[in-house]
Amino acid sequence: MIRVLAIAATVCAAMAFVFYSGVFGARAGSPTPLQDFEAPFVFGRFQLPEDNPLTQEAVELGRRLFYDPRLSGNDSVSCSTCHLQRLAFTDGKPTAIGVSGRPLAFNSMSLANLMWGPRRFFWNGRASTLEEQALVPIQHPDEMAQDLDVLVDDLAEDETYRLLFDAAYGKISPASIAAALASFQRTLVSANSRYDQFLRGEITLTEQEELGRRLFMAHPDTKASLRGANCIDCHSQFLTSGFSTRFDGFANNGLDAEADLPAGLRGLTGKPEHRGLFKVPTLRNIALTAPYMHDGRFATLEEVLDHYNEGIKVSSTLSPLILEASNLDIAPGDRVSLHLTAEETAAVIAFLHTLTDETFVTDPRFSNPFPTE
Amino acid sequence: MRVISRQAYLILVLLLLAAAAGGVLYLGSRPAPTVQLSMQLYPFVGEEALELERGRYANPGGDGVFKVRDFQFFISNIRLVAENAVFQEPESYHLARFDSEDGMFVIGLEDVPRDSYNHIEFGIGVDPAANGTITSVGDLDPNGRMAWSWDVGYKFVLFEGGLEVGDTRIPLVYHVGFDENYIQVSIPLAAALFERQEATLDLCADLLQMFKGEHTVDMSTLSNVKFDRGDARMLARNYAHMVSLCPAD
Repeated sequence: MIRVLAIAATVCAAMAFVFYSGVFGARAGSPTPLQDFEAPFVFGRFQLPEDNPLTQEAVELGRRLFYDPRLSGNDSVSCSTCHLQRLAFTDGKPTAIGVSGRPLAFNSMSLANLMWGPRRFFWNGRASTLEEQALVPIQHPDEMAQDLDVLVDDLAEDETYRLLFDAAYGKISPASIAAALASFQRTLVSANSRYDQFLRGEITLTEQEELGRRLFMAHPDTKASLRGANCIDCHSQFLTSGFSTRFDGFANNGLDAEADLPAGLRGLTGKPEHRGLFKVPTLRNIALTAPYMHDGRFATLEEVLDHYNEGIKVSSTLSPLILEASNLDIAPGDRVSLHLTAEETAAVIAFLHTLTDETFVTDPRFSNPFPTE
Repeated sequence: MRVISRQAYLILVLLLLAAAAGGVLYLGSRPAPTVQLSMQLYPFVGEEALELERGRYANPGGDGVFKVRDFQFFISNIRLVAENAVFQEPESYHLARFDSEDGMFVIGLEDVPRDSYNHIEFGIGVDPAANGTITSVGDLDPNGRMAWSWDVGYKFVLFEGGLEVGDTRIPLVYHVGFDENYIQVSIPLAAALFERQEATLDLCADLLQMFKGEHTVDMSTLSNVKFDRGDARMLARNYAHMVSLCPAD
């Protein structure tokens, strides 16, 4: 099977270019489809919005906007303030801090492989496209506190932006700002971790990493003598993100008891069964993206594993997959615990470290385009 | 005058011939009649319509009531079988799920050549060939919720929920997969179904059938089935009878 995987993984999909070059070819003086975009076969299919294909011009513009503090009301905060490349586009803080200096409600999410996994953005899923997402922090009074009309006027005064917007979208508007930021973020593909190299058949994992990989990929079943860390029930095997279908990529992972359960996905759907459910994040580069969880409550991966192993708090919407998962036979009403050994939790953490992608966090295409002093 | 008449006569004949040829060509090029078949799948728990999260149903083999958080299963390789013809849907992998607003699942079969199909056949689960690959076809997604891992394959039928017995709450996790549990189903059809251009086939999926076989399952004693081959086989034997024509009103 590994051989099949290796063969499959080498068939990289330059699908965006092939599929969307047709759309672009029809427009005179049109932007250039992105030439070198590719993603591993094992990531599966993805879709681009028909009205915002990936083009070189859009990505170049989006990268500049991403790193430009003029996007904030006081010219001090850019997207990259809370999404630093060296931290896989997170900020190392429990929850983000923007122009107001007040800590926000949520931990800054890593920006990697955004075309796969849940088709909803933000921890509580309140945006359904990256375009929709992009304009929210810009206008949020605590994040970037910028007025979109003012921003359009500011950018129009800049000759470079005038040229870039003209080439990519024809005009400067809130919609084209959002489209460019979304395009740049779609190119943030992390696919050269040791796990990727393993999937491509280029390396073997250490014994400890391989034990961790097997535990990651298994829901425990004492009856079948299968030990597991139960990660795969929420984090898909190749992407390690939540699932893309409907709200399957959202979960209540036992962080809070009933009385303290926050709204989570319920804020979007209004459904009581969605209370306390949050977006399952990708685990790509997870060793770089501490602290963890939607509110950054855990400082280390050890604390995260301790939570899943013996810290689960029971509530009405807690996933039955978590309630039920144990490596020891437990009776109903017993404390929820995976009952992993210390050796096993260490192995899972070792496997999580194989998801770190040095190429991704140093790729010059994703870096700050402005000269630094 | 006579010459002109002959010319007019010739032109008339040529025009008639051309019209006839055109008519023949038109008839020949007309597409064969096809049918759009809409398979509508309605979920039930015994006699009751399934209501996710809110419905409470009696434990089929013991005490307590259960609720259903999710119920999903694969329908694969749909074929319509007539006396001398078979229509096979290409890339036929559908993940039936019932969490949409109307609570049912619809599979649309486009451009089915009109014929007197007397059976519909499909698999519950994923056939061994597809179950052993990581290619995304139809609703098969190796990064999806129904994927276990590449060396195990897909969950074919998923039912997650909870059983309440007095004050005790027991999580229910039934994930059934493995090649041997790919079940082929054949359901007889009324010949009249395909007489119209748009046809609807109402199928009922009864979750309770999974637990009613040789032995009726007490959910409190068998609250989860995952990798134990014997338990999985037992549920698969039962779910072979899960999907059937909805009874006429």
